[in-house]
Order: sequence, then C-alpha cells, then structure tokens
Amino acid sequence: MMGRLRIGLKYCGGCNPRYDRGQAVASIKKRLEGRIAFVSYENPNTQGILVVTGCATACVDLTPFKGRPLWVVTSLKEVEQFVETMRKG
Amino acid sequence: MALMDAKQYEASLRRLKLKVYMFGKRVENPVDDLIIRPSMNAVAVTYECAHRPEYEDLMTATSHLTGKKINRFTHIHQSVQDLVKKTKMGRLLGSLTGCCFQRCVGMDSLNALSMTTYDIDRKYGTGYYQRFLKYLKYVQENDLTCVGAMTDTKGDRSKAPHEQEDPDMFLHVVKERDDGIVVRGAKDHQTGAVNSHEIIVMPTLTMREPDKDFAVSFAIPADTEGITYIMGRQSCDTRKLEKGNMDRGNLRYGGHEALIIFDDVFVPWERVFMYKEWDFSGQLVEQFASYHRQSYACKVGVGDVLIGASQCIAEYNGVQKAAHIRDKIIEMNHLNETLFSSSIACAAEGHKEPSGTYYVNTLLANVCKQNVTRFPFEIARLAQDIAGGLMGTLPSEADFRSAEVGGWLEKYYRGRSGVSTENRMRMLRLIENITMGSAAVGYLTESMHGAGSPQAQRIMISRQVNMEHKKKLAERLCGIRKDDGPT
Repeated sequence: MMGRLRIGLKYCGGCNPRYDRGQAVASIKKRLEGRIAFVSYENPNTQGILVVTGCATACVDLTPFKGRPLWVVTSLKEVEQFVETMRKG
Repeated sequence: MALMDAKQYEASLRRLKLKVYMFGKRVENPVDDLIIRPSMNAVAVTYECAHRPEYEDLMTATSHLTGKKINRFTHIHQSVQDLVKKTKMGRLLGSLTGCCFQRCVGMDSLNALSMTTYDIDRKYGTGYYQRFLKYLKYVQENDLTCVGAMTDTKGDRSKAPHEQEDPDMFLHVVKERDDGIVVRGAKDHQTGAVNSHEIIVMPTLTMREPDKDFAVSFAIPADTEGITYIMGRQSCDTRKLEKGNMDRGNLRYGGHEALIIFDDVFVPWERVFMYKEWDFSGQLVEQFASYHRQSYACKVGVGDVLIGASQCIAEYNGVQKAAHIRDKIIEMNHLNETLFSSSIACAAEGHKEPSGTYYVNTLLANVCKQNVTRFPFEIARLAQDIAGGLMGTLPSEADFRSAEVGGWLEKYYRGRSGVSTENRMRMLRLIENITMGSAAVGYLTESMHGAGSPQAQRIMISRQVNMEHKKKLAERLCGIRKDDGPT
C-alpha cells in the first residue's frame, strides 16, 4: 500500500444509473493501478473519498465525509476527469 | 444480527414451523419447494443487497432507536430523504428481480403503526407506542421480514363487519384473557406470507363503534399455533416443476400470495397495538395505504426489465430501427418514468408527524397508485405488441431440445443473424412471464388491486384536493370574485 493513495469508495444506491458504475470503478482501478488503492469508506485511514453516483442527482449523504478530500463522479465524463486528476497527482 | 445476509435469511426461514398448503397437500418444506422457492429468492435479494457496496446506500439506514445500521425494510422514516430512498429502493429491487420482492408491506405496516399507536396513546392514555417500539427494536435487531396482513375476505360487501352473517369474514376478537386476546378470521392476498418471520395484522377498513371487536392490530410470529397458509395459484405456476428452465421466463425470482387463516389464535398483550379503538381504524388503514401506494415504485423497476426485454426482442427480430418500434419504446419509458415521478413526488413532499415519523404526501401517493393501476397495463400491451405473436404461441423448451423436432424450431424460429434462436426464445419467455405468466400477478393484478383497488384512490384524491381553492382561482380570474390577488 505504501505510496498509493488510500481512497474510500462509496456508491449511491443505483436505482436508475445512467452508466455502469461497477464497470466505471473497475476501469478506474485498472488505469490507476499503483497510484491509488480503494478501501472501505468506513476505514478511518482513508486519504480521501470517491463517491460514484449513477446520475447527477447524487443523492448520497456526504455529511459523514465532511473535512476529508472528496471526489464525486456522476457520469463517465467525470470518471475520466477523476482519472486525469489522479494521474497528474 | 442487525443485518442478515441471504444465507442467514434462508436458514432463519428453515427454523419456522409453518403450516402451508398448496394443491390440497401440506408443504412440509416451503423453502425448497420448487414453486415457492423463487419467491424466497426474491426476498433474499433484499438481504443480499444490504451487503453490496453498490446498493447499500439505498438498502440500509441508521436505526433511530439504536443508532445501528439496519435494513431499510425495518426502518422508520426519519426524513424526507428516507422517504425518497424508499422509492428508489423499490425501483432498484424491482429491476434486479423482475418481480414482487414482497418485503415492502411489512415496512409500510411498521411505519403506519409508529404513527397510529402514538396517536391512540395521546387520545386515550394507552401504552401502545412503547409496546410498538419494543417490537420494532426486536424486528430491527433480528432483521425480520414481516407480512402486513390487512385485507379481510369481507363476505357481503354491502354490510359492515358486525352485520355479516358469518362474523369471521372480518378478523375479530373472540375472547379476552388476562394474558392476551384470541382472534379468528382470515387475511387474503398476503404477499410473501410464507417467506415472512412475523405477521402484522391491521383492520381492513374504517370501522364504527358496533365494529369495535374487529378494530384490532397486533403482531405474532408466522408459525404461531392456529395459523394456516393456503397458497394462491399463479398463471403458469407449474412450469417451475418442468425440466429445464427456459419456459419459466424469469429463471430465479418470483412472488407469491397466500390466504392466511387465523383459527382461534392467541396474541399476548405485549403484541397488541390496537384493541377496540375503532375510531383509529380508518387512520391506520389510510396511513398504511398511503405508504403502500408509494411503494409501487417497485413496478417501475419491473418496467425497466420489461422495457429492456422489449428493446432486446426488437433487436433480435431486426426491427429496432422501425420508427413505430422506437416510438413505442419511448412511450413505455415515458409511462414508466411518470410512475417513478409520482412516487418520488409523494416522498419529496412528505412531512413529519407528531410521532416523529415522516409521512408521504397522501394526495400524491394516491395519484401515484392510480397511475400504477393503468400504466403497467399499457407498458405490457406495448411489450406484447413489439414482441409479436410468437410470445404466446412458442412451443416448449422440451420441443426445442427434442431430437425429432428441435432442429426445425432452431431453423424456423431464428431471427436476426448473430442472435441464437435460444436467446430469442428466452427473451420472449421473459416478456410472457411479466405480461401474462406468473409475474403478471405482481406486475398487473397487484398493480390494479394491491394497496387498494382503483376506486379507493379516486375517493382519496377527491377528499384530498382543495376544490374551494380551485373554484376561487377561477372566480377571481373571470371577475366573479374580487379579492387582493395579484393585479
């Protein structure tokens, strides 16, 4: 885990997703291998939280993550932006 | 065990000693019965998804009693956001199972009782609310599935409960003891009955003082002495007994309903939540019904499956680019999202009741359910239109596998190049399952009559709208009424 950013992964409930959230996360994992490691969002040692929501409503309650670095992706376009951000470090 | 998983749920059902009858015979092992098991699988999804990160946000909540993480099906809504998530959870589970997953009725019963017991206590100084909270905690801690038993068999519909020739047509109290009450009667159309750990009984309609022996609400374990379940039939139900699985349409999931007989069943006082407070029967019925009318967001999820199946079969048949097919798919989506809209709306417009429970907007909940009595039928009609007549005339899987005639079916039922005949047949069977097979009980009949038949919602809509306000608006604009509205 040394050197890799520990990111807590939180999904919305996925009632009517506009894209495949699981596939998007798999793609992030593959493309950022060695740079980040996904852990439970409940893990107190996370260095940030990635919230993956199926649509722009993004109905996940973000208050438990207050004060921590937070990325919210609501579309495949934002998934790409997240990957780019992480690559730039 | 605040959150059971699917295996633990199945194991918990095996410990119940239910008395179940189907096709005139006692079913000794309902969990493994080939006809009942798909319905158990569907309930099990509500347990499994609570442990899946990608669904957990909708499937779980924080108990207001213990602060622990619980399954949302045992939760008392603490905010508008909770009500909205309930709607979304219904859609999610309908889409994952393609059928009725049976657990919403218990959730709606618990939420309705959380308000009615509180209000009875405020008027009469009774102790129902604390009893209820103790029971709720037990349900949450053990992650139980409850069947909400409301609908009596009703006998002569023109007569009140106390006027019935046979008083058992409405479940009623037959004996009062120091330690509890004894009840007799039957509750009909009980969704998920034999997949439940507990039965929550409520009165079926608004009652008057002469009906007070029928104004009773309580909860008992599903295998209490004196309880018998008689399974309802579903169209094409015995296909589940056949070799192969293709003709089932939905390979894994289904729903069920049963008639529950209460033959002099004892209920201890600590499980009684209403006892002869006839003037609160209407409130309990209305609150339960409003929540349950919201719950029909589940049909949006089933609609998602049916729309997906319709698009697939259009592609398998090579007609997906035809303008009328595309338009029909758009219409199906329009109707489906309209259903979702009204369920979301009644949740978003919810409010806090004196008990602290959040309650849906009842006008919009009734509009939601009224839409549900219509739109799934039109969506099903369009699905059948797109699927073509083969959906209703397709030979069996046995013929398809037959050495003698299978080759002809393989040849003559092939559609577009690149799509196997078997896949085409499977998709047609799924559409058949939802629109006229065993899942049609859930998608169509339940949509029509569940949570009250269409006229029940129309009566509620007429009561809830402010007609005087609408008249004033009209009178002001045409000069009949003069007031201080905008100039």
